Amino acid sequence: MNTSALSIHTLTKAYGALTALDSFNLEVDQGSIFGLLGPNGAGKTTLIRILTTLMRQSSGSATIEGFDIFQSGQEIRRIIGVVSQENSLDRYLTARENLELHARLHGMERRLYAPRIDELLELMGLSGRQKDFPDTFSGGMQRRLVIARALVHLPRVLFLDEPTTGLDPQSRRAVWEYIRSLAGKMTIFLTTHYLEEAEQLCDRIAIMDHGKLIAIGSTQELKDHLNGATVYEIDFAEGAAHSAELLGNMPCVIDIKQIGNKVVVTLECWECLAEIVTALNGAPVRRISLQERTLEDVFISLTGEKVRE
Amino acid sequence: MLRGSLAIWQRDMLILRRSIISELVAVVAYPLTIYLAFGIGMQGYIGLVDGAPYSLFIAPGLITMTAVNAAYNESVWSLWFHRRVQFTIESYRVTPISVSEIVIAKILSGFTHGIIKGCVVGLVIFAITPFRFPLEHLVQYLLFLIPGSAFFSCAGVISGTVMDKPETIGKVEAVLVMPLIFMSGLFFPLSSYPSTVIPWVRALPTTALFEGARRALVAGEMMPTAAVQISLSALLTFVAAVYIFRRKMSE
Repeated sequence: MNTSALSIHTLTKAYGALTALDSFNLEVDQGSIFGLLGPNGAGKTTLIRILTTLMRQSSGSATIEGFDIFQSGQEIRRIIGVVSQENSLDRYLTARENLELHARLHGMERRLYAPRIDELLELMGLSGRQKDFPDTFSGGMQRRLVIARALVHLPRVLFLDEPTTGLDPQSRRAVWEYIRSLAGKMTIFLTTHYLEEAEQLCDRIAIMDHGKLIAIGSTQELKDHLNGATVYEIDFAEGAAHSAELLGNMPCVIDIKQIGNKVVVTLECWECLAEIVTALNGAPVRRISLQERTLEDVFISLTGEKVRE
Repeated sequence: MLRGSLAIWQRDMLILRRSIISELVAVVAYPLTIYLAFGIGMQGYIGLVDGAPYSLFIAPGLITMTAVNAAYNESVWSLWFHRRVQFTIESYRVTPISVSEIVIAKILSGFTHGIIKGCVVGLVIFAITPFRFPLEHLVQYLLFLIPGSAFFSCAGVISGTVMDKPETIGKVEAVLVMPLIFMSGLFFPLSSYPSTVIPWVRALPTTALFEGARRALVAGEMMPTAAVQISLSALLTFVAAVYIFRRKMSE
Protein backbone atom coordinates (compact mmCIF):
# COMPACT_ATOMS: atom_id res chain seq x y z
CA MET A 1 0.00 0.00 0.00
CA ASN A 2 1.27 3.46 -0.91
CA THR A 3 1.85 5.56 2.21
CA SER A 4 3.15 8.59 0.34
CA ALA A 5 1.04 11.72 0.67
CA LEU A 6 3.00 13.30 -2.16
CA SER A 7 4.77 11.50 -4.92
CA ILE A 8 6.65 13.57 -7.49
CA HIS A 9 8.34 12.06 -10.56
CA THR A 10 10.67 13.98 -12.92
CA LEU A 11 8.52 17.10 -12.59
CA THR A 12 9.76 19.85 -14.91
CA LYS A 13 8.57 23.39 -15.48
CA ALA A 14 10.18 25.61 -18.09
CA TYR A 15 9.43 29.26 -18.83
CA GLY A 16 10.99 29.66 -22.26
CA ALA A 17 14.71 29.15 -21.80
CA LEU A 18 14.47 29.20 -17.99
CA THR A 19 13.95 25.87 -16.27
CA ALA A 20 12.37 26.57 -12.90
CA LEU A 21 11.93 22.88 -12.02
CA ASP A 22 14.30 20.35 -13.48
CA SER A 23 13.31 16.64 -13.33
CA PHE A 24 12.33 16.99 -9.69
CA ASN A 25 11.66 13.79 -7.72
CA LEU A 26 10.30 13.57 -4.19
CA GLU A 27 8.27 11.36 -1.85
CA VAL A 28 6.60 12.76 1.26
CA ASP A 29 5.19 10.40 3.89
CA GLN A 30 1.60 10.71 5.08
CA GLY A 31 1.24 12.57 8.36
CA SER A 32 4.76 14.01 8.30
CA ILE A 33 5.92 17.61 8.38
CA PHE A 34 8.14 18.08 5.36
CA GLY A 35 10.30 21.15 4.84
CA LEU A 36 11.54 22.44 1.50
CA LEU A 37 14.46 24.85 1.62
CA GLY A 38 16.19 26.74 -1.11
CA PRO A 39 17.51 30.19 -1.94
CA ASN A 40 15.35 32.76 -3.76
CA GLY A 41 14.49 31.52 -7.24
CA ALA A 42 15.32 27.91 -6.41
CA GLY A 43 11.88 26.77 -7.64
CA LYS A 44 10.06 26.24 -4.33
CA THR A 45 7.03 28.39 -5.12
CA THR A 46 6.81 26.98 -8.66
CA LEU A 47 6.69 23.49 -7.16
CA ILE A 48 3.94 24.47 -4.69
CA ARG A 49 1.93 26.18 -7.45
CA ILE A 50 2.08 23.04 -9.57
CA LEU A 51 1.18 20.76 -6.68
CA THR A 52 -1.77 22.95 -5.71
CA THR A 53 -3.01 22.90 -9.35
CA LEU A 54 -2.50 26.65 -9.84
CA MET A 55 0.00 25.96 -12.60
CA ARG A 56 0.60 23.18 -15.13
CA GLN A 57 3.90 21.34 -15.31
CA SER A 58 5.81 21.16 -18.60
CA SER A 59 6.47 17.44 -18.09
CA GLY A 60 6.64 14.78 -15.42
CA SER A 61 3.93 13.81 -12.99
CA ALA A 62 2.89 14.08 -9.35
CA THR A 63 0.18 12.61 -7.18
CA ILE A 64 -1.31 13.88 -3.93
CA GLU A 65 -2.94 11.19 -1.83
CA GLY A 66 -3.05 9.09 -5.00
CA PHE A 67 -4.71 11.79 -7.17
CA ASP A 68 -2.86 12.90 -10.27
CA ILE A 69 -2.33 16.67 -10.33
CA PHE A 70 -2.97 16.89 -14.07
CA GLN A 71 -6.08 14.73 -14.27
CA SER A 72 -7.74 15.15 -10.86
CA GLY A 73 -7.37 18.83 -10.05
CA GLN A 74 -10.79 19.17 -8.45
CA GLU A 75 -10.31 16.11 -6.21
CA ILE A 76 -6.92 17.45 -5.14
CA ARG A 77 -8.31 20.89 -4.31
CA ARG A 78 -10.92 19.18 -2.17
CA ILE A 79 -8.27 17.59 0.08
CA ILE A 80 -5.60 20.29 0.26
CA GLY A 81 -5.30 23.47 2.28
CA VAL A 82 -3.05 26.22 1.01
CA VAL A 83 -1.37 29.09 2.84
CA SER A 84 0.26 31.14 0.10
CA GLN A 85 3.06 33.66 0.49
CA GLU A 86 0.74 36.58 -0.20
CA ASN A 87 -1.87 37.63 2.30
CA SER A 88 -4.93 36.70 0.25
CA LEU A 89 -7.52 37.54 2.91
CA ASP A 90 -10.60 39.41 1.75
CA ARG A 91 -10.29 42.78 3.47
CA TYR A 92 -13.96 43.59 2.88
CA LEU A 93 -15.12 40.55 4.83
CA THR A 94 -14.79 40.06 8.57
CA ALA A 95 -12.54 37.30 9.92
CA ARG A 96 -15.51 34.98 10.33
CA GLU A 97 -16.95 35.82 6.91
CA ASN A 98 -13.57 35.00 5.32
CA LEU A 99 -13.77 31.52 6.81
CA GLU A 100 -17.46 31.12 5.92
CA LEU A 101 -16.85 32.00 2.28
CA HIS A 102 -14.03 29.46 2.09
CA ALA A 103 -16.27 26.79 3.64
CA ARG A 104 -19.03 27.53 1.12
CA LEU A 105 -16.55 27.30 -1.75
CA HIS A 106 -15.74 23.85 -0.42
CA GLY A 107 -19.44 22.98 -0.52
CA MET A 108 -19.77 22.71 3.25
CA GLU A 109 -23.18 23.18 4.84
CA ARG A 110 -23.68 25.77 7.55
CA ARG A 111 -24.42 23.14 10.22
CA LEU A 112 -20.97 21.66 9.52
CA TYR A 113 -18.91 24.76 9.03
CA ALA A 114 -20.32 26.94 11.82
CA PRO A 115 -18.97 24.80 14.72
CA ARG A 116 -15.72 24.14 12.81
CA ILE A 117 -15.17 27.89 12.39
CA ASP A 118 -15.92 28.48 16.10
CA GLU A 119 -13.32 25.85 16.96
CA LEU A 120 -10.66 27.27 14.62
CA LEU A 121 -11.19 30.86 15.75
CA GLU A 122 -10.85 29.73 19.34
CA LEU A 123 -7.74 27.71 18.57
CA MET A 124 -6.10 30.63 16.75
CA GLY A 125 -6.98 33.08 19.50
CA LEU A 126 -9.22 35.09 17.18
CA SER A 127 -12.65 34.45 18.69
CA GLY A 128 -12.88 37.92 20.18
CA ARG A 129 -12.01 39.53 16.83
CA GLN A 130 -14.19 37.41 14.54
CA LYS A 131 -16.41 40.36 13.58
CA ASP A 132 -13.45 42.61 12.76
CA PHE A 133 -11.94 43.16 9.34
CA PRO A 134 -8.47 41.72 8.64
CA ASP A 135 -7.01 45.18 7.94
CA THR A 136 -7.34 45.93 11.66
CA PHE A 137 -5.29 42.82 12.58
CA SER A 138 -1.56 42.59 13.28
CA GLY A 139 0.58 40.64 10.81
CA GLY A 140 0.62 37.63 13.13
CA MET A 141 -3.16 37.61 13.52
CA GLN A 142 -3.66 37.87 9.76
CA ARG A 143 -1.32 34.94 9.23
CA ARG A 144 -3.17 32.89 11.82
CA LEU A 145 -6.43 33.71 10.07
CA VAL A 146 -4.99 32.57 6.71
CA ILE A 147 -3.94 29.29 8.33
CA ALA A 148 -7.40 28.91 9.91
CA ARG A 149 -8.96 29.48 6.48
CA ALA A 150 -6.80 26.75 4.97
CA LEU A 151 -7.98 24.34 7.69
CA VAL A 152 -11.75 24.98 7.60
CA HIS A 153 -12.50 21.99 5.37
CA LEU A 154 -10.22 19.58 7.28
CA PRO A 155 -7.61 19.09 4.53
CA ARG A 156 -5.48 15.95 4.35
CA VAL A 157 -2.46 17.83 3.01
CA LEU A 158 -1.57 21.37 4.07
CA PHE A 159 0.77 23.49 1.94
CA LEU A 160 2.47 26.33 3.75
CA ASP A 161 4.50 28.64 1.51
CA GLU A 162 6.75 30.66 3.81
CA PRO A 163 4.05 30.90 6.49
CA THR A 164 5.96 33.08 8.95
CA THR A 165 7.71 35.53 6.65
CA GLY A 166 7.49 39.03 8.08
CA LEU A 167 6.26 37.97 11.51
CA ASP A 168 7.83 39.01 14.79
CA PRO A 169 9.46 36.23 16.86
CA GLN A 170 6.45 35.88 19.20
CA SER A 171 3.97 35.50 16.34
CA ARG A 172 6.33 33.14 14.56
CA ARG A 173 6.55 30.91 17.61
CA ALA A 174 2.75 30.94 17.98
CA VAL A 175 2.39 29.77 14.37
CA TRP A 176 5.05 27.08 14.94
CA GLU A 177 3.20 25.85 17.99
CA TYR A 178 0.02 25.48 16.02
CA ILE A 179 1.76 23.71 13.12
CA ARG A 180 3.34 21.32 15.62
CA SER A 181 -0.09 20.61 17.09
CA LEU A 182 -1.25 19.43 13.64
CA ALA A 183 1.57 16.90 13.36
CA GLY A 184 0.24 13.43 12.57
CA LYS A 185 -3.27 14.69 11.80
CA MET A 186 -2.38 15.73 8.26
CA THR A 187 0.63 15.94 5.99
CA ILE A 188 2.29 19.34 6.09
CA PHE A 189 4.44 20.56 3.22
CA LEU A 190 6.31 23.69 4.23
CA THR A 191 8.67 26.00 2.39
CA THR A 192 10.67 28.48 4.40
CA HIS A 193 13.67 30.78 4.39
CA TYR A 194 14.10 30.35 8.12
CA LEU A 195 16.38 27.40 8.71
CA GLU A 196 15.55 27.42 12.40
CA GLU A 197 11.89 27.00 11.44
CA ALA A 198 12.67 23.92 9.35
CA GLU A 199 14.90 22.54 12.09
CA GLN A 200 12.23 23.07 14.74
CA LEU A 201 9.26 21.74 12.81
CA CYS A 202 10.18 19.29 10.12
CA ASP A 203 10.62 15.52 10.26
CA ARG A 204 12.40 15.61 6.92
CA ILE A 205 13.95 18.40 4.95
CA ALA A 206 14.82 18.74 1.28
CA ILE A 207 17.17 21.37 -0.09
CA MET A 208 16.68 22.46 -3.67
CA ASP A 209 18.53 24.84 -5.93
CA HIS A 210 18.24 25.75 -9.62
CA GLY A 211 15.08 23.63 -9.79
CA LYS A 212 16.82 20.46 -8.64
CA LEU A 213 16.74 18.46 -5.44
CA ILE A 214 20.24 18.52 -3.99
CA ALA A 215 19.84 16.95 -0.54
CA ILE A 216 17.16 15.26 1.53
CA GLY A 217 16.97 13.76 5.00
CA SER A 218 16.38 14.57 8.65
CA THR A 219 18.23 17.58 10.10
CA GLN A 220 20.84 15.26 11.59
CA GLU A 221 21.28 13.32 8.36
CA LEU A 222 21.83 16.56 6.46
CA LYS A 223 24.40 17.73 9.01
CA ASP A 224 26.17 14.39 8.66
CA HIS A 225 26.49 15.08 4.94
CA LEU A 226 28.99 17.82 5.72
CA ASN A 227 32.64 16.81 5.39
CA GLY A 228 34.40 15.38 8.46
CA ALA A 229 35.94 18.68 9.56
CA THR A 230 35.12 19.70 13.14
CA VAL A 231 35.39 23.12 14.72
CA TYR A 232 36.51 23.72 18.32
CA GLU A 233 36.56 26.92 20.28
CA ILE A 234 39.43 27.19 22.80
CA ASP A 235 39.16 29.80 25.54
CA PHE A 236 42.51 30.94 27.05
CA ALA A 237 43.09 32.85 30.27
CA GLU A 238 46.07 34.53 28.54
CA GLY A 239 48.55 33.98 25.70
CA ALA A 240 45.96 33.16 23.03
CA ALA A 241 48.13 34.64 20.25
CA HIS A 242 51.12 32.48 21.13
CA SER A 243 48.97 29.31 21.28
CA ALA A 244 47.27 30.19 17.97
CA GLU A 245 50.70 30.47 16.31
CA LEU A 246 51.69 27.12 17.77
CA LEU A 247 48.48 25.35 16.65
CA GLY A 248 48.56 27.00 13.23
CA ASN A 249 51.74 25.09 12.37
CA MET A 250 50.18 21.67 13.08
CA PRO A 251 49.36 19.56 9.99
CA CYS A 252 45.86 18.48 11.15
CA VAL A 253 44.68 22.09 11.54
CA ILE A 254 42.77 23.28 8.46
CA ASP A 255 41.95 26.78 9.64
CA ILE A 256 42.57 28.90 12.71
CA LYS A 257 41.17 32.25 13.89
CA GLN A 258 41.99 34.22 17.00
CA ILE A 259 39.33 36.49 18.51
CA GLY A 260 40.62 38.08 21.74
CA ASN A 261 41.29 35.30 24.20
CA LYS A 262 39.49 32.78 22.01
CA VAL A 263 40.95 30.62 19.25
CA VAL A 264 38.59 28.94 16.78
CA VAL A 265 40.33 25.99 15.22
CA THR A 266 39.04 23.79 12.37
CA LEU A 267 40.44 20.27 12.48
CA GLU A 268 40.54 17.64 9.73
CA CYS A 269 38.63 15.24 12.00
CA TRP A 270 37.65 14.98 15.63
CA GLU A 271 40.45 12.44 16.28
CA CYS A 272 42.98 15.28 15.92
CA LEU A 273 41.73 16.80 19.16
CA ALA A 274 44.11 14.59 21.21
CA GLU A 275 47.11 16.06 19.34
CA ILE A 276 45.83 19.58 20.04
CA VAL A 277 45.40 18.89 23.75
CA THR A 278 48.93 17.47 23.90
CA ALA A 279 50.34 20.48 22.10
CA LEU A 280 48.62 22.82 24.52
CA ASN A 281 50.14 21.10 27.54
CA GLY A 282 50.82 23.76 30.19
CA ALA A 283 48.93 26.54 28.34
CA PRO A 284 46.31 28.40 30.47
CA VAL A 285 43.25 26.80 28.77
CA ARG A 286 39.93 27.64 30.47
CA ARG A 287 37.59 25.72 28.18
CA ILE A 288 37.50 23.71 24.95
CA SER A 289 34.09 23.41 23.31
CA LEU A 290 32.81 21.78 20.13
CA GLN A 291 30.98 24.10 17.74
CA GLU A 292 27.83 22.29 16.56
CA ARG A 293 27.27 22.36 12.79
CA THR A 294 23.98 24.02 11.99
CA LEU A 295 21.46 23.51 9.22
CA GLU A 296 22.65 26.86 7.94
CA ASP A 297 26.15 25.40 7.48
CA VAL A 298 24.61 22.59 5.45
CA PHE A 299 22.49 25.02 3.44
CA ILE A 300 25.40 27.35 2.66
CA SER A 301 27.73 24.48 1.82
CA LEU A 302 25.17 23.12 -0.68
CA THR A 303 23.84 26.32 -2.20
CA GLY A 304 26.85 28.66 -1.86
CA GLU A 305 27.31 32.02 -0.17
CA LYS A 306 26.53 34.18 -3.17
CA VAL A 307 23.44 36.38 -2.76
CA ARG A 308 20.69 35.52 -5.30
CA GLU A 309 18.82 38.13 -7.27
CA MET B 1 -22.30 23.22 -10.66
CA LEU B 2 -22.70 26.91 -9.97
CA ARG B 3 -22.32 26.56 -6.19
CA GLY B 4 -19.02 28.44 -6.33
CA SER B 5 -20.51 31.21 -8.49
CA LEU B 6 -23.35 31.61 -6.02
CA ALA B 7 -20.99 31.83 -3.03
CA ILE B 8 -18.83 34.51 -4.71
CA TRP B 9 -21.87 36.43 -5.98
CA GLN B 10 -23.36 36.40 -2.45
CA ARG B 11 -20.05 37.73 -1.15
CA ASP B 12 -20.16 40.58 -3.71
CA MET B 13 -23.77 41.37 -2.81
CA LEU B 14 -22.90 41.47 0.90
CA ILE B 15 -20.24 44.08 0.15
CA LEU B 16 -22.70 46.05 -2.02
CA ARG B 17 -25.29 45.96 0.77
CA ARG B 18 -22.76 47.32 3.25
CA SER B 19 -21.86 50.28 1.07
CA ILE B 20 -25.16 50.79 -0.74
CA ILE B 21 -25.73 54.41 0.38
CA SER B 22 -22.31 55.72 -0.65
CA GLU B 23 -22.44 53.65 -3.86
CA LEU B 24 -25.82 55.06 -4.82
CA VAL B 25 -24.93 58.66 -3.99
CA ALA B 26 -21.91 58.35 -6.26
CA VAL B 27 -23.79 56.58 -9.02
CA VAL B 28 -26.74 58.98 -9.05
CA ALA B 29 -24.61 62.13 -8.96
CA TYR B 30 -23.03 61.68 -12.40
CA PRO B 31 -26.11 61.10 -14.62
CA LEU B 32 -28.09 63.63 -12.64
CA THR B 33 -25.43 66.29 -13.23
CA ILE B 34 -25.49 65.50 -16.94
CA TYR B 35 -29.28 65.63 -16.95
CA LEU B 36 -29.34 69.01 -15.22
CA ALA B 37 -26.51 70.47 -17.29
CA PHE B 38 -27.58 69.20 -20.70
CA GLY B 39 -31.25 68.36 -20.32
CA ILE B 40 -32.29 71.53 -18.55
CA GLY B 41 -29.40 73.90 -19.32
CA MET B 42 -29.36 73.24 -23.07
CA GLN B 43 -33.08 72.59 -23.49
CA GLY B 44 -33.89 76.14 -24.52
CA TYR B 45 -31.22 76.13 -27.22
CA ILE B 46 -31.91 72.66 -28.63
CA GLY B 47 -35.70 72.51 -28.61
CA LEU B 48 -37.32 69.29 -29.82
CA VAL B 49 -35.31 66.21 -30.82
CA ASP B 50 -37.20 63.48 -32.68
CA GLY B 51 -40.38 65.24 -31.59
CA ALA B 52 -39.52 65.19 -27.87
CA PRO B 53 -38.07 67.89 -25.57
CA TYR B 54 -34.29 67.41 -25.23
CA SER B 55 -34.48 66.61 -21.51
CA LEU B 56 -36.86 63.73 -22.25
CA PHE B 57 -34.78 62.59 -25.22
CA ILE B 58 -31.66 62.01 -23.09
CA ALA B 59 -33.37 60.62 -19.96
CA PRO B 60 -33.69 56.95 -21.06
CA GLY B 61 -30.11 57.01 -22.34
CA LEU B 62 -28.85 58.31 -19.00
CA ILE B 63 -30.59 55.49 -17.13
CA THR B 64 -29.16 52.94 -19.56
CA MET B 65 -25.72 54.56 -19.41
CA THR B 66 -25.73 54.36 -15.60
CA ALA B 67 -26.61 50.67 -15.68
CA VAL B 68 -24.01 49.65 -18.24
CA ASN B 69 -21.31 51.87 -16.75
CA ALA B 70 -21.95 50.36 -13.32
CA ALA B 71 -21.84 46.84 -14.77
CA TYR B 72 -18.57 47.56 -16.57
CA ASN B 73 -16.91 49.32 -13.64
CA GLU B 74 -17.87 46.69 -11.09
CA SER B 75 -16.57 43.86 -13.28
CA VAL B 76 -13.34 45.47 -14.38
CA TRP B 77 -12.25 46.87 -11.03
CA SER B 78 -13.48 43.96 -8.96
CA LEU B 79 -11.67 41.44 -11.11
CA TRP B 80 -8.48 43.48 -11.29
CA PHE B 81 -8.49 44.17 -7.55
CA HIS B 82 -9.16 40.55 -6.58
CA ARG B 83 -6.57 39.29 -9.05
CA ARG B 84 -3.76 41.80 -8.65
CA VAL B 85 -4.17 43.44 -5.24
CA GLN B 86 -6.01 41.18 -2.86
CA PHE B 87 -5.07 37.83 -4.48
CA THR B 88 -8.51 36.48 -3.57
CA ILE B 89 -8.92 34.94 -7.02
CA GLU B 90 -5.95 32.74 -6.16
CA SER B 91 -7.53 31.74 -2.86
CA TYR B 92 -10.72 30.78 -4.79
CA ARG B 93 -8.66 28.74 -7.23
CA VAL B 94 -7.30 26.39 -4.58
CA THR B 95 -10.85 25.34 -3.67
CA PRO B 96 -12.81 22.71 -5.65
CA ILE B 97 -14.71 25.28 -7.74
CA SER B 98 -13.84 25.73 -11.41
CA VAL B 99 -12.33 28.80 -13.06
CA SER B 100 -15.56 29.18 -15.05
CA GLU B 101 -17.55 29.47 -11.83
CA ILE B 102 -15.31 32.36 -10.70
CA VAL B 103 -15.73 34.29 -13.93
CA ILE B 104 -19.49 33.65 -14.07
CA ALA B 105 -19.78 34.99 -10.51
CA LYS B 106 -17.95 38.17 -11.46
CA ILE B 107 -20.12 38.65 -14.55
CA LEU B 108 -23.26 38.15 -12.45
CA SER B 109 -22.05 40.64 -9.86
CA GLY B 110 -21.34 43.29 -12.50
CA PHE B 111 -24.72 42.63 -14.06
CA THR B 112 -26.52 42.95 -10.72
CA HIS B 113 -24.70 46.20 -9.93
CA GLY B 114 -25.79 47.53 -13.32
CA ILE B 115 -29.45 46.60 -12.93
CA ILE B 116 -29.72 47.93 -9.34
CA LYS B 117 -27.95 51.21 -10.08
CA GLY B 118 -29.82 51.72 -13.37
CA CYS B 119 -33.14 51.24 -11.57
CA VAL B 120 -32.20 53.67 -8.81
CA VAL B 121 -31.16 56.36 -11.29
CA GLY B 122 -34.41 55.71 -13.18
CA LEU B 123 -36.39 56.25 -10.00
CA VAL B 124 -34.52 59.47 -9.17
CA ILE B 125 -35.03 60.87 -12.67
CA PHE B 126 -38.66 59.81 -12.46
CA ALA B 127 -39.06 61.54 -9.10
CA ILE B 128 -37.40 64.88 -9.80
CA THR B 129 -37.94 65.45 -13.52
CA PRO B 130 -40.99 65.58 -15.77
CA PHE B 131 -39.79 62.43 -17.55
CA ARG B 132 -42.60 59.85 -17.52
CA PHE B 133 -43.22 56.59 -19.31
CA PRO B 134 -46.08 54.07 -19.25
CA LEU B 135 -45.20 51.20 -16.91
CA GLU B 136 -46.00 48.60 -19.57
CA HIS B 137 -43.05 49.91 -21.58
CA LEU B 138 -40.74 48.68 -18.85
CA VAL B 139 -40.86 45.07 -20.06
CA GLN B 140 -39.63 46.03 -23.55
CA TYR B 141 -37.00 48.30 -21.98
CA LEU B 142 -35.68 45.46 -19.81
CA LEU B 143 -35.23 43.37 -22.95
CA PHE B 144 -32.47 45.86 -23.80
CA LEU B 145 -31.21 46.74 -20.34
CA ILE B 146 -30.59 43.13 -19.27
CA PRO B 147 -28.45 42.04 -22.24
CA GLY B 148 -26.85 45.50 -22.29
CA SER B 149 -25.72 45.19 -18.68
CA ALA B 150 -24.58 41.62 -19.34
CA PHE B 151 -22.59 42.80 -22.39
CA PHE B 152 -20.81 45.52 -20.43
CA SER B 153 -20.23 43.24 -17.45
CA CYS B 154 -18.55 40.67 -19.72
CA ALA B 155 -16.52 43.43 -21.37
CA GLY B 156 -15.42 44.55 -17.90
CA VAL B 157 -14.38 41.02 -17.01
CA ILE B 158 -12.28 40.83 -20.19
CA SER B 159 -10.59 44.17 -19.40
CA GLY B 160 -10.00 43.21 -15.75
CA THR B 161 -8.50 39.92 -16.88
CA VAL B 162 -6.11 41.11 -19.56
CA MET B 163 -5.01 44.41 -18.01
CA ASP B 164 -2.51 44.28 -15.20
CA LYS B 165 -2.09 48.04 -14.61
CA PRO B 166 -4.89 50.25 -13.28
CA GLU B 167 -3.87 53.15 -15.52
CA THR B 168 -4.46 50.95 -18.59
CA ILE B 169 -7.99 50.24 -17.38
CA GLY B 170 -8.59 54.01 -17.10
CA LYS B 171 -7.21 54.59 -20.59
CA VAL B 172 -9.41 51.89 -22.15
CA GLU B 173 -12.42 53.42 -20.46
CA ALA B 174 -11.56 56.87 -21.83
CA VAL B 175 -10.61 55.76 -25.33
CA LEU B 176 -13.04 52.91 -25.97
CA VAL B 177 -15.91 52.54 -23.52
CA MET B 178 -17.02 56.16 -23.13
CA PRO B 179 -16.80 56.96 -26.88
CA LEU B 180 -18.82 53.80 -27.64
CA ILE B 181 -21.52 55.03 -25.25
CA PHE B 182 -21.47 58.71 -26.19
CA MET B 183 -21.31 58.21 -29.96
CA SER B 184 -24.22 55.79 -30.09
CA GLY B 185 -26.95 58.40 -30.00
CA LEU B 186 -27.15 59.00 -26.28
CA PHE B 187 -27.15 62.81 -26.60
CA PHE B 188 -28.22 63.28 -30.21
CA PRO B 189 -30.26 61.42 -32.84
CA LEU B 190 -28.34 59.15 -35.22
CA SER B 191 -29.67 61.19 -38.12
CA SER B 192 -27.11 63.85 -37.12
CA TYR B 193 -24.35 61.67 -38.55
CA PRO B 194 -23.38 61.89 -42.23
CA SER B 195 -25.32 59.25 -44.16
CA THR B 196 -22.14 57.31 -44.99
CA VAL B 197 -21.31 56.91 -41.30
CA ILE B 198 -24.77 55.83 -40.11
CA PRO B 199 -24.50 52.14 -41.17
CA TRP B 200 -21.22 51.86 -39.27
CA VAL B 201 -22.68 53.44 -36.15
CA ARG B 202 -25.73 51.21 -36.38
CA ALA B 203 -23.47 48.15 -36.46
CA LEU B 204 -22.23 48.97 -32.96
CA PRO B 205 -23.86 46.95 -30.17
CA THR B 206 -24.04 50.11 -28.06
CA THR B 207 -26.16 51.83 -30.73
CA ALA B 208 -28.56 48.88 -30.73
CA LEU B 209 -28.68 49.14 -26.95
CA PHE B 210 -29.23 52.90 -26.56
CA GLU B 211 -31.46 53.34 -29.57
CA GLY B 212 -33.56 50.26 -28.80
CA ALA B 213 -33.81 51.10 -25.09
CA ARG B 214 -34.94 54.66 -25.76
CA ARG B 215 -37.64 53.69 -28.23
CA ALA B 216 -38.82 50.88 -25.95
CA LEU B 217 -39.10 53.11 -22.91
CA VAL B 218 -40.49 56.28 -24.48
CA ALA B 219 -42.67 54.93 -27.29
CA GLY B 220 -43.17 51.30 -26.30
CA GLU B 221 -41.69 50.39 -29.71
CA MET B 222 -39.86 47.12 -30.03
CA MET B 223 -36.81 46.97 -32.33
CA PRO B 224 -36.30 43.20 -32.74
CA THR B 225 -33.09 43.53 -34.77
CA ALA B 226 -31.54 45.75 -32.13
CA ALA B 227 -32.66 43.40 -29.34
CA VAL B 228 -31.14 40.41 -31.13
CA GLN B 229 -27.96 42.40 -31.87
CA ILE B 230 -27.33 43.36 -28.24
CA SER B 231 -28.32 39.89 -26.99
CA LEU B 232 -25.95 38.19 -29.43
CA SER B 233 -23.20 40.63 -28.50
CA ALA B 234 -23.76 39.79 -24.82
CA LEU B 235 -23.58 36.07 -25.58
CA LEU B 236 -20.39 36.43 -27.62
CA THR B 237 -18.64 38.56 -24.99
CA PHE B 238 -19.73 36.06 -22.33
CA VAL B 239 -18.06 33.21 -24.23
CA ALA B 240 -15.01 35.40 -24.84
CA ALA B 241 -14.82 36.47 -21.18
CA VAL B 242 -14.93 32.87 -19.91
CA TYR B 243 -12.36 31.77 -22.50
CA ILE B 244 -9.97 34.66 -21.86
CA PHE B 245 -10.20 34.33 -18.08
CA ARG B 246 -9.59 30.55 -18.22
CA ARG B 247 -6.65 31.09 -20.53
CA LYS B 248 -5.15 33.78 -18.31
CA MET B 249 -5.51 31.60 -15.22
CA SER B 250 -3.74 28.69 -16.89
CA GLU B 251 -0.68 30.83 -17.70
